Amino acid sequence: MKRTVGIVLAVLLAIGVVAAVVIGSGMVGLGGGVAGRDVVVVRGVIGSEKKPFFDDPEVQQILRDNGYDVQVETAGSRQIATLDNLTDYDFAFPSSAPAAERIKRANKTSGAFTPFSSPMAVATYTPIEKALKPTGVLTRENGVLIFDVDKYLKAVDQGLRWDKIPKNSTYPASKSVLVTTSDVRKSNSAAMFLSVASYVANGNNVVSSKAQATKVLPQMTRIFLDQGYSESSTEAPFEDYLSLGKGKTPMVLAYEAQFLDRQMRGDGSITDEMVLAYPKPEVLSKHTVLAFKDPGREVGRLLSEDPQLQRLAAVHGFRPQSRQVFTDVLKERKVAAPPELVDIIEPPAYEMLEAMIVGIEKQY
Amino acid sequence: MRRARALIAGLVFVAVTITGCSFGTTTGNSSGSGSGDAVVLKVMAGSEVKDLEPVLQRAKEVTGVEVAADYTGTLTGAEQIAAGQADGTYDAVWYSSNRYLSLLEGSSSRLSTQTKTMASPVVLGVRESVARKLGWDTKAPTWKDITTAVKNGSLTYGMTDPSASNSGFSALVGVATALSGGGAALTQKQVDAAAPQLREFFSGQKLTSGSSGWLADAYVNQQGTDRVDALINYESVILELNRGDRLTEKLHVVIPADGVVTADYPLTLLRSATQEKKDAYTRLTDWLRTPEAQQLIQEQTARRPVVPGVKLDSRFGTTDLIELPFPNRREVVDGLINAYMQDLRRPSQTVYVLDVSGSMNSRGRLDELKKAMSSLTGAQGQTSQGVDRFATFRARETVILMPFSSRPQTPQTFTIPTKGGEKVRGQIQAAIDGLTAQGDTSIFTSVEEAYRVLERSTVSSDQAFNSIVVLTDGQNTSGQSFGDLQAHYESMPNDLKAVPTFSIVFGASDRGELEQLADLTGGRVFDATSGDLTAAFREIRGYQ
Repeated sequence: MKRTVGIVLAVLLAIGVVAAVVIGSGMVGLGGGVAGRDVVVVRGVIGSEKKPFFDDPEVQQILRDNGYDVQVETAGSRQIATLDNLTDYDFAFPSSAPAAERIKRANKTSGAFTPFSSPMAVATYTPIEKALKPTGVLTRENGVLIFDVDKYLKAVDQGLRWDKIPKNSTYPASKSVLVTTSDVRKSNSAAMFLSVASYVANGNNVVSSKAQATKVLPQMTRIFLDQGYSESSTEAPFEDYLSLGKGKTPMVLAYEAQFLDRQMRGDGSITDEMVLAYPKPEVLSKHTVLAFKDPGREVGRLLSEDPQLQRLAAVHGFRPQSRQVFTDVLKERKVAAPPELVDIIEPPAYEMLEAMIVGIEKQY
Repeated sequence: MRRARALIAGLVFVAVTITGCSFGTTTGNSSGSGSGDAVVLKVMAGSEVKDLEPVLQRAKEVTGVEVAADYTGTLTGAEQIAAGQADGTYDAVWYSSNRYLSLLEGSSSRLSTQTKTMASPVVLGVRESVARKLGWDTKAPTWKDITTAVKNGSLTYGMTDPSASNSGFSALVGVATALSGGGAALTQKQVDAAAPQLREFFSGQKLTSGSSGWLADAYVNQQGTDRVDALINYESVILELNRGDRLTEKLHVVIPADGVVTADYPLTLLRSATQEKKDAYTRLTDWLRTPEAQQLIQEQTARRPVVPGVKLDSRFGTTDLIELPFPNRREVVDGLINAYMQDLRRPSQTVYVLDVSGSMNSRGRLDELKKAMSSLTGAQGQTSQGVDRFATFRARETVILMPFSSRPQTPQTFTIPTKGGEKVRGQIQAAIDGLTAQGDTSIFTSVEEAYRVLERSTVSSDQAFNSIVVLTDGQNTSGQSFGDLQAHYESMPNDLKAVPTFSIVFGASDRGELEQLADLTGGRVFDATSGDLTAAFREIRGYQ
């Protein structure tokens, strides 16, 4: 009796293994997706700030309706380029044009899409705004909170500490006034911060030569190294901002999308004290899909062209290709429309940005 | 994928039903996850997360993912992970922090997604009467204020060994960063400059330990002597002590006003994990960050939730946790630990009571003993890099070798000088090399003699961490009984009673006897029955 069962089981298990192998290789015919169509498993490696978007059941459903079961892992955008077997994934989805360029140079890609973008922002708190008033680092212009990069660099140069700011009784910490960023060696958002900081340090010009890069390097090194340990992803410090409060991260560099995403959820995670500041000058992060395989290319195309996915990108705070879609979604969710941005700079060319990051890396 | 798994499970289920036999195997239900065959996620972890067991039990019910953990110290674990030794054996790693790990060459290519699961700052738990006297019940002190209190003799404390345990390591980084006064990440120069103040701060350390849990136990055991006023430990450990009934006086949680270092317990996927394990990891971490799980973690373990929307309960107070910058260079961190070991901390003085009875000749036991002791003299050349080097006999340390068989032999005392320690370590090595075995086993007579040796020592208990280490491969066969030793122990002065006796279960030694000894003296029993005597000796170093 027992033996019979064993044999039956072995046979069935063998079938199971075959099934699993077939499934594992991507083709599934087990009733997923649209009627009569197979669902293909598509694997991507993405910047962490887009994980909430990909985790959204609505996003997953639309992709599945189109025949794709998209599964993502997160990594720092700059780190993505260095992964072993990167092209085993169907696509990579780093967070900016320079980060995409780095991947493109090291790997064979079969398509690039920029479905949405997000300006960089500094998430902070009203008591911090108050504390920083005498420094001019945070100011209001027509009601919009502005993070003045020039004033910030001056404060960092002085090694300004919170408890040394005149009349600051709201945040008397004895640590330096620093924006918390992710690890500039690994993550894109920090590289975007480097873009604006180096622009200002270079006399309001995009760094465009080795000589300029070398000149601004010591100042750029400080804004990252003085922070001490920094996380490899943008999502981690932003989550600290949300849950651990101003003691840990009085100011955190984030994508505007991260903040808006939380606001639109209306889950109370953005408290009355929390406020978003826009750096002056501003830089846009252009989230770019790079396809390594056909299904990856299709997913990239869908993200850019499917109206529902464009709308869902806006629901997660990203700025889709149409401003109208963005405005409508915000209105529908009763979230105040963020300002139209005027003072926008381009990030430095890939080589220049890379040269500065490598320069900073050497100081670690 | 899920659907497929359900289908396979369904087939198995059909087979079982048809044949009408009951199997030990469980079957998946139609939802494809949840009850039934759990996926086992193999995790290399720090012992700090052991207390999550009830939470993980619930996680298994909800997600179908079972966590199987092996525990290794923070720094040792980090080195193994960075070297790729965890790849293949483990699917994920779970320590109180990834900060040290991230400083090691090779770590970033090993690690995939990191998910913070909870938070707990390293703080001071100060006896309420002492906190009141110092005014810390109403106003939080800075690290400088704390140092002043130590200097004035108003505060003593217990803290774990920074090379063995993350809470001590975090405290060391915190106090060094705060006292250096820079406000930014620490540099080697600042460590050197802050050394005099740090030495003062560490002069107040009266208890040391290789683990946060044992430190709490040791604190509980010495209550009533008023020798120790405070514990430096995770906030969660202190809150849990306060919740239980082991304290005669509650501990006031003091969060230094100028900042702390907070553990955030990132459950971290290894890039080498298989797809199945990656999926399991995602299911588990998604659940761990639900409000339900975060609430459970807060209730069960007194750690702070890390997802927005889950409110802190009243135990935590409302103070902002100012986070100190953590050094981002490995040299700085290693330099700091080294400075602590060789210079800043109080030195240790240890009597090694080593069994050289006849039975040690069998199965190469004497050779194993020699090898284990040699790992502490640096004779094996393992000391240039890696955390093992922190196990080597340190500058200013006093090592007393007292071999015993039918009776204790004359002890040999060595003190490692600040400069030229190699020579003395060589002398210790020579003494170890010269050990030979014969005779009976007089454990308790020899331990009593070890206490007398410490009583006669010119290094007082105020100047050093005193301890006794007993290694034996058998039962007590000659000399006095445990009862005789106990009577002697009770007659000793308090400062001598505070000296713990650590012992190692080895060969045919009697665990019960050794545990009695540990209970009596506030020591601990280490296990080397699985064969690795060297590892046991190194582990004990964290307690000396």
